[in-house]
Amino acid sequence: MRTWFPEAYEEFNIVSIYEVLVDYIKTGRIKINKEKFANHTVTLHHPCNYFRKSKAAFDKEYTEEYRYIVEQIFDKKNIIDMHPNALNNHCCGAGGGAWASPYSDERLTYGKVKADQIKATGAEIVVAPCHNCRDQIMKGLTPKFDMGNCKETLYLWEMVAQALIIEPWSEQEVKEAHALRDAQFERDGIDLDDDEY
Amino acid sequence: MEALKLGERKEGKLDLTPEMADVCYTCTTCSSGCPISGVVPGWDARKAIRSIAMGLEQEVVDSKFPWVCTLCGRCQYACPQGVQLQKTFRGLRSLRERDKVPGPLHKGTIMNYERGNNLGIPKFDFLFLLAELGVELMEEDEEQPCPGFYVPVDKENANIIVTINSKEPFGEPEDMAFWWKIFYAAKEDWTVSSVNWEGVNWGLFTGDDENMKIQVERVLENARRLKAKTILYPE
Repeated sequence: MRTWFPEAYEEFNIVSIYEVLVDYIKTGRIKINKEKFANHTVTLHHPCNYFRKSKAAFDKEYTEEYRYIVEQIFDKKNIIDMHPNALNNHCCGAGGGAWASPYSDERLTYGKVKADQIKATGAEIVVAPCHNCRDQIMKGLTPKFDMGNCKETLYLWEMVAQALIIEPWSEQEVKEAHALRDAQFERDGIDLDDDEY
Repeated sequence: MEALKLGERKEGKLDLTPEMADVCYTCTTCSSGCPISGVVPGWDARKAIRSIAMGLEQEVVDSKFPWVCTLCGRCQYACPQGVQLQKTFRGLRSLRERDKVPGPLHKGTIMNYERGNNLGIPKFDFLFLLAELGVELMEEDEEQPCPGFYVPVDKENANIIVTINSKEPFGEPEDMAFWWKIFYAAKEDWTVSSVNWEGVNWGLFTGDDENMKIQVERVLENARRLKAKTILYPE
């Protein structure tokens, strides 16, 4: 976007998931239940795209923001870093489209490095803020390698969603939302009671 | 094999010299820190760069090395000479004939160009799925019920417009609810486009700049048409 459409940066506010989540937490728009993951240990996978490549392309990487979000959910003492990490972190092994490529043996050979890193932390949960990394770690590495204590791979936003304190909207808000929803469904020809579908 | 004549080196198509190859010290910082060194027999990052410098570009293009490399950029980050390894390796993918791009990535890129998402999900199926899941996963969720939730499609003047990774509606639709719950709790004013909503740019992976640009342009077109204020980068 920076290369082809630089004007978009004047026209729109363009943000990453880290900025959105940090903003929601700092302004109190979302509230976190710290009990949800109390006494669980976690390690953070740093995807190439948000660290090395973002740093190269935009001179911006998200180490602090990432850490901040996880620290709102886990006790600091339960966050165990992989080594190397952040800008020097190893790729999950499925970057550059490798998750969808036919070279699965090579993808898993590469991923063994990541599996060993995760195992060495002894953490129970690994966080992956990227679709591709999460699929590789959860569906590629976990069944294939000894991951030690690690039993769960969560998207960053999945972890936040699980720890959310959700307050249901007021009756008035629900009523307004349903009116908007019904108008949208009518416009788009959506009928959820239609058994034909 | 013909002997290399180093004095009369062939011009390569990559056109990245001199910052690319001639400044390489052959120190092996790149290949030493790379998990796939030697995984493709005979190839590693340093050798690929040296081969291009020696005019053997086509041999690297024809090898599977540029496709087994995950373009993670660790080599480029660490290179003491500033050699643009990651950019070069993606450039090698661009030089592969399109019908010889391995796996489904090029097909998905074309599918996205023609039908607006990498997996060819039809518009009505997509809208119906969002509507149905809005009730099942959100309003009727037992642990965290979210009364009033729905997915706002083509809503004008929203604060945030998002894209969707097509693998989710296609194969893991319940995973969309994680962001939905966050938006519900934050009372975000958000929307998603009914067309060209794909959030994954496979042109990036296949080295297809033209299709990559089209995909980026579509994200902008949707934001402009719906007058959104903020674009959330796809994950």
